Amino acid sequence: MITRYLFYFLSILALYSAIMMLISRRQIHSVLYLTLAFFAIGGHYILLNAQFLAVVHIIVYAGAIMVLFLFTVMLLNLNTEQKSPKKMSAKIGAIVSGGMLMIVLIAILRTYDISMTHDPDLTQIGLIKNLGKVLYEDYLLPFEISSVLFLTAMVGAVLLGKKEQI
Amino acid sequence: MNTIIALTVLGVAILFLGILKKNSWLLPTILAGIPIVLILTITGWDTNRHYFNDMLIVDNYAVTFNSVMIFSTFLIFMFAGKYYHLVQRSLDDIYAIVIFALVGCVLMTSYGNLIMLFLGIETLSIALYILAGSHKESITSNEATLKYFLLGSFLSGFLLFGIALIYGASGTFNLDGINSYVINHASHLPPIFKAGLFLMIIGLAFKIAIVPFHFWAPDVYEGTPTLVSAFMVTVVKTASIIALFRLFSTSFSAVKELWEPTLAILAVLTILVGNFTGLYQTNLKRMLAYSSISHSGYMMLAVIAFSHSSANTLLFYAFAYSVATILAFGVLILVREAKGNDLFTSFRGLAKRNPVEAFSLSVAMLSLTGIPPLAGFFAKYYLFFTVMDKGYLWLMIIAIVGSAVSAVYYFKPVISMYLEEGQEFDLKAGVAYRMSLLFLAILTVLTGVLPFFLINLI
Repeated sequence: MITRYLFYFLSILALYSAIMMLISRRQIHSVLYLTLAFFAIGGHYILLNAQFLAVVHIIVYAGAIMVLFLFTVMLLNLNTEQKSPKKMSAKIGAIVSGGMLMIVLIAILRTYDISMTHDPDLTQIGLIKNLGKVLYEDYLLPFEISSVLFLTAMVGAVLLGKKEQI
Repeated sequence: MNTIIALTVLGVAILFLGILKKNSWLLPTILAGIPIVLILTITGWDTNRHYFNDMLIVDNYAVTFNSVMIFSTFLIFMFAGKYYHLVQRSLDDIYAIVIFALVGCVLMTSYGNLIMLFLGIETLSIALYILAGSHKESITSNEATLKYFLLGSFLSGFLLFGIALIYGASGTFNLDGINSYVINHASHLPPIFKAGLFLMIIGLAFKIAIVPFHFWAPDVYEGTPTLVSAFMVTVVKTASIIALFRLFSTSFSAVKELWEPTLAILAVLTILVGNFTGLYQTNLKRMLAYSSISHSGYMMLAVIAFSHSSANTLLFYAFAYSVATILAFGVLILVREAKGNDLFTSFRGLAKRNPVEAFSLSVAMLSLTGIPPLAGFFAKYYLFFTVMDKGYLWLMIIAIVGSAVSAVYYFKPVISMYLEEGQEFDLKAGVAYRMSLLFLAILTVLTGVLPFFLINLI
C-alpha cells in the first residue's frame, strides 16, 4: 500500500519539477528543478526494484551532469531573467506537436494490459547480481563494443578541446 | 566480426602513429590497411555466421554492403592527402574517428539485435558530430556540428523510445524474436508495438535525412568539411538505409500493410521535395546535399518494394550512387580550394584547362541523373523494375518525374564547365589526384557497361 502512495508522490513530484524546469525564467532554477526531477525518477527505479539503475542514475545524472550544468550556468553568468526569444508561431507549433505525441502515448497506455507485466522473474532483474550476469553473458558483445564509442568520444573531446587550428 | 576487429585495430594503430609523430605514415597506413580489411570482410562470404547470441549476423547482405562502405571510405581517403595538404598539425585523430565511424556503419548493417543497432547508430553519430565540427575556426563548421548534435541527440531519443516500446510489447530485442512475435500476433498487435514501430521510423528517417526530417541535412552537409560531407552523404547514408532495410525485411515483414503507406508517403515526399528544392540551389555542395536527400528517397523504394531481389537492387544503387557522389566531391574539393567557393558560376570555363576534372564531374553528374550507359542508369533501371514488379506503378511514375526534374540541376555545372565563357584557371590537381578521379570515372562507366557482375551477387 505504501508503495502506491510513494508512486503517486514521486510521479507528482517528477511532473511538477519537469514542468517547473520548463517554465522557470531563471536558468539556475531550471537546473535545480531538473535535479529534483532526476531524484524523483531515481525513486521510481527503486520502487521497480532496480537499485543499481537508481544509484547510477543519481550519481551520473543528478550528480555529474547537474554539476556540469550548474558550473556552466555560473561561469557564463547566465543567471538573469530572460524572456523566451521564440516567436508565437514556433511556440504554438511546439505545443501542437508535443500534444499530438502525448495524445498518441495516452491512447496507447489506455489500452495497455497491465496484467501482462506481472512476471515474477522480471522483478529481480534490476538487482546488481542479475544485471551483471545478463551483461556479461547475453550482452557481452554490445558491452565490449561500446568501448569503441567511448574511445571515439574521448578522442573527439581532445580534438575539439585542443588549441591547434586545422 | 573480423571486419569490426580489424577496423578498430586500424583506428587504434592510427592513433599510436600520431603519438609517435609519424605523420607521413598516416595516410599510407590507412590506404594499405583498408584493402586488408576489405579482404577480411570478403572472406566472410557464404559463411553466414551468427556471433554472441545473434548480436551480430555476418550474412551475404552484411558482407556485400560492408564491402561497398569500406570501398567508399577507401575512395574518400584517396582525396584526403590533397584536401588536408596545407594542414600543419597531425591528423591522426580525424582519420581515426573516420575509421571508428566506419565501425559504427558496419554494426548498422550486420546487427541482429536492436541494442547493436542503437550502439552502431550512436558510435556513428558521435563520430560525425566531432567530424562535422573539426574545422574549428570556420563558423559554418561550428553551425553544422551544433545543429547536427542538438537534433541528432534529440532524435536518438525517439529511436530509443521506439526500441523500448517494441521491447515492452514483444519482450525481446532480437530481430528474429520480434519477427516471430509479429507473426504470432499479426491480427491483434498491441498499440504499444505500433507506436514503437513509428517512433523507430522517425528516428531512422532522421538519420537517413528523409523528408520531413531532412531540415538539418543541407546546412549540415554544407557546413561540414568537404571530405567529411563526402563520407556523410555516401557511407553514412548507405549504412542508415541498410539498417532500415534489415529491420523491416527481417522483423516487420509480416505486418507490411501497417508501415507500407507511411514509408511510401515518406519516399514520395523525399523524392519530390529533394529534387524540386535542388532546382533552386546556386552552389554545388548544397545541390549535392539535396541530391543525396532525393537519392535516399529512391533507395527507400527498394525497402518498400521488398522482394528477394531488392537487396541486390539496393546494393547496386548504393554502389553507383556512392562512387558518383565521391567523384563529384573529388572535383568539388579542387574547385573550392582554387576559387574559395563552389558557386556554379565558379565552374565557368573549367573544361578548357582541366579536361580530366571536367570530364570526371560530368560523368558523376550524368550518372546521378541516370543517363545510359553509366552506372546510375542501371541502378535506377533495376530499382524501378523492382518497384514495378511489385505493382507500385504510381511510385514508379513519381520516381521517374523526380528523376527528370533532377536532370535540370545536375546539368547546371556541366553546362557551366563546357558552354559558358569564363576566366581560365588551373586547378593544380597533381597527377595522382587526376588518376584517382579518372579511376572513379572509369569505374562508373564500367559498372554501367557491365552491370552483371553486381546485379546477381546476393
